[in-house]
Amino acid sequence: MKIYSILSITGSIIRLINSLLVLWLTLRWKVRTARRAFERELIEQGMAAKDARRLSANYSKMKNQIMSVFKGSLRKNRARISF
Amino acid sequence: MRRDEQLPRFSPDSKTVICNKLKEFKEANEMSEEKKKKEDVEELREVLSVVSKEVPALIKGMIESVFSEEAGRNMGKAAAAFYKGLKEAGMPEQTAVKMTENYISVFTSLSDVMKNAVRGRKIPKGEEIGEEISRKIKEKLAEESQ
Repeated sequence: MKIYSILSITGSIIRLINSLLVLWLTLRWKVRTARRAFERELIEQGMAAKDARRLSANYSKMKNQIMSVFKGSLRKNRARISF
Repeated sequence: MRRDEQLPRFSPDSKTVICNKLKEFKEANEMSEEKKKKEDVEELREVLSVVSKEVPALIKGMIESVFSEEAGRNMGKAAAAFYKGLKEAGMPEQTAVKMTENYISVFTSLSDVMKNAVRGRKIPKGEEIGEEISRKIKEKLAEESQ
């Protein structure tokens, strides 16, 4: 029973880490596709490609901010655990 | 009165019974501790199995609502409509682009709000914003009067 519980806990942790890793890896691709679709819409309405690219840079900025929030919260929790 | 007379006298049989009862109590106590530990491990197992399924799905949903082709297209449509409206109203190209950029930056500021919420930073309330605005106006007026 105990061994089964330990194995199950380890399995859950591995599954959680795997899912988060996959999410992190696919995030970049998702940002790229979203940016491209966003630029396409703006260019269709007559905006210059350079300006559209500049506006879509907000997407990357947003991604970086969200990632920094996650990293910050992880760091905070790690510091709390170490004390 | 002697001290020995105050103490109850136990027969050898009753002593054995007491010892057995004590042993039983000790065993029961140990068993309950072990049971509690087992229950804790079981609880942790259940919590982790739920967390490992639900948390990634939650984060995935959050990410997909912002960073997906469809979300990008919708946001692009909104920004493009805004830009087109400005252009049709006769706004100069650069001003229209600048205003569209400001319109888009609202989404970036939403992530700032999220950042503040996660870090537990205080968001100014209505009264504080009012005070801040009146302070800025006073500063501006003082600058202009000089």
